[in-house]
Amino acid sequence: MTSALHRRSQLTAIAELRWRMFVNGLRSKRGKMELVSRIIVTAAFALGGLGSFALASGLSWFFVSQDKAELLPLLLWPIFFFWQVFPVMATAFTNNPDSGELLRFPLSYRSYFLIRLAYGFFDPASALGCVGLLGILLGVSFARPSLFPWTLLVLSTFALFNLVLMQTVFAWLERWLAQRRTREIMGVLFILVMLSFQLIGPMMQRVERKPHPEFSRATQIVTQVQAVLPAGLAAGAIAQTSRAEFLSGFASLLFLGTMTLAVGSLLHLRLRAQFRGENLSEAAARPVVAQVQGLQVGWDLPGFSQSVAAVFEKEVRYLARSGPMLLTLVMPIFMLVIFRFGPMNPTRPTNALSRTPDMAFPGAAAYALLVLTNLVFNSFGGDSAGVQFFYASPVRFRQIMLGKNLTHASILVANTALAWIAVSYLYGTPHLTVSVATVAGLLFAAPLNFTAGNLLSIYSPRKRDFATFGRQNVSQTTVLASLGVQIVIIGIGAAAFAIARLYNNLWIATVLFLVLAAISIPIYLVMLRRIDGIAIQRRETLLAELCRA
Amino acid sequence: MDPAPTISTQGLTRRFGDLLAVDGVDLRVAPGQFFGFLGPNGAGKSTTIKMLTGLLAPSSGRIEILGIDLNAHPVEVKRQIGVVPEGMALFGRLTGAEFLSFAGRMYGLDRTTAAQRAAELLDFMQLADQPKKLVTDYSHGMQKKLALAAAVIHGPKVLFLDEPFEGVDAIAAGTLKSMLQGMIARGATIFLTSHVLEIVERLCSHVAIIHQGRLVAQGSLEELRAGVQAQTPAGSDDDGVSGENLTLEQLFLRIVGGERRNEQELSWLG
Repeated sequence: MTSALHRRSQLTAIAELRWRMFVNGLRSKRGKMELVSRIIVTAAFALGGLGSFALASGLSWFFVSQDKAELLPLLLWPIFFFWQVFPVMATAFTNNPDSGELLRFPLSYRSYFLIRLAYGFFDPASALGCVGLLGILLGVSFARPSLFPWTLLVLSTFALFNLVLMQTVFAWLERWLAQRRTREIMGVLFILVMLSFQLIGPMMQRVERKPHPEFSRATQIVTQVQAVLPAGLAAGAIAQTSRAEFLSGFASLLFLGTMTLAVGSLLHLRLRAQFRGENLSEAAARPVVAQVQGLQVGWDLPGFSQSVAAVFEKEVRYLARSGPMLLTLVMPIFMLVIFRFGPMNPTRPTNALSRTPDMAFPGAAAYALLVLTNLVFNSFGGDSAGVQFFYASPVRFRQIMLGKNLTHASILVANTALAWIAVSYLYGTPHLTVSVATVAGLLFAAPLNFTAGNLLSIYSPRKRDFATFGRQNVSQTTVLASLGVQIVIIGIGAAAFAIARLYNNLWIATVLFLVLAAISIPIYLVMLRRIDGIAIQRRETLLAELCRA
Repeated sequence: MDPAPTISTQGLTRRFGDLLAVDGVDLRVAPGQFFGFLGPNGAGKSTTIKMLTGLLAPSSGRIEILGIDLNAHPVEVKRQIGVVPEGMALFGRLTGAEFLSFAGRMYGLDRTTAAQRAAELLDFMQLADQPKKLVTDYSHGMQKKLALAAAVIHGPKVLFLDEPFEGVDAIAAGTLKSMLQGMIARGATIFLTSHVLEIVERLCSHVAIIHQGRLVAQGSLEELRAGVQAQTPAGSDDDGVSGENLTLEQLFLRIVGGERRNEQELSWLG
């Protein structure tokens, strides 16, 4: 068989493998549920894609037909950022098998490289990015049909650049995330980068407040810098050609192409190392130094059994050793600081918090509940094969769940208390009625969340690595269901506060929440009692999902 | 009169869709036996051990451990048994001491006893020199030793081990064996599956062989040899070994009927 035929046969086999994996996944009821959830998520994406297509084509048509093609960067930069940032953020929507697994086969390096690129092409961010670029192509071509071939060439190069860059970023991230310690450091850095985006707003306000000439100088610098970066180069190549500056347009495209090659060579470096069998195992040789440690007695939880206390201790230790998780859990406090100095600064008359400053504490408490979703709705995910231990041990599942829920509740209480202190410091002490209503609201919302979370943890579990940030394999069913639960809870909470405001008496909200809590707490207890039976009934699915390598 | 069995099953059956993985298995393991459960790949060994330890529900049949019905009283049974399942069931982000202490408390030990036993077990298993090391960073052999330590921390009367020696080096295997033999000496019952027939032959007093979901032989090694000898017509031993001198591997092959394929097949190989 010639090498070209051999390569084609291998690529076909891989495509068939992906298809069989998809089809075989539908054999189980859970697989079918996942498909339904995926269709809903895809429909949401398609709507977003349609919107961005319409916006991109409309605006690009307007810019080019009005001889304002220099404004095209305003369209290309958002596409660039979306394409690169979304895949890292949207862990729920990506589920690629490890392409490194394929290396055991006699795959040529070129095929391996192509497969990695192909996996990237099927990422939702790539699909949506391409739809946006297609919109621009359509808009520009309608405004000036003669520009079609050139725009097609430029935007194709830009798409290729994005595709290669996305894969390069992931390939290098994989390298840095291969070891637990560097993984945690990367997780912290990643969150800090994400948070720094939040600071753009406050910084922009500061710039806005500066004298006009200084602002326009800053804008000038940004415009010049962006012009030599990928999105600016692509936009420049189209704009210059539309003004008949063919040489400049060609130079911009050439520069963009060179950048693509440069990024591609970085990807090549990484993939080549993988292809040659690079081993990034955790077990780095360390000198064995004998250490002596005293007797470690476990924690006691007054009022609870040994097993509940043991599960609680285990959960807390797990969380304490997960940098990414810890940072996620302190996010509510960080967000309060951001809002205080950011666009929701209460001293500004135009924002929501200035009209309702008392809502800062309920808002922070709701956010504290929201960040717990990650844990509550997949509470066995971090246990992986350890879940077998729960099934083999003489402990009822209700006790295991109670231990886990106690951990969640403790985090919620700690976060709410910290939020109260932060709100008091940043916005002024919340009024007693607001504080009491918020606590009453949590008494209603937390049990409801825990009930739904416990059920979904058993019905739709997914293995997760507490040390890794991003690209976790998340169940689509859980994503949709948890979203639904949060919308209902936040809707009810907002309605209770709205009714209380309508009658100008916040105690009404407290009463409403207490009534709702009187319903949600018994529901939680009843479901907790039933969880033993559900866990036994679902044990095969749970064990199969969490214990697989 | 035979003593009441520690492990007994009647008509134990498990179906996965159309596949009959375990077909009416009747097992009897007497107290104090070191019992080896053997079978070719896919014969139903792991499915059976999972059912015996409550990790998998039988489609039909009855399981009694220490005279207690597993289906009716799973928690009472689990309190008295220890399990090292296929995936070892470890919590990777705890240290060895934390995990053992956790396991002890889940089996009902008080905090101090759990901590003391955890320290003793870590010392015995030679895992005590790096107390801050997380289980996820342990080698495979270390994880096996830790899984066994967790299974015995509460002093179980019955121990179920699924492939305990798989991927374990000779030193670690020696430690595991000496611990298991010590338990048998103190009256515990051990039920293990293994592919390493030499280990089973050396350790186990009794053996059962499962093939295509059915139990095809059960008894002491001597009983199995006698059974094979009785069924083999005189002079027809294809390997020239008489029944009473058969090794476990030879017994296994004769009972399971391992078919030798013609070496002329797959002629394209090398």
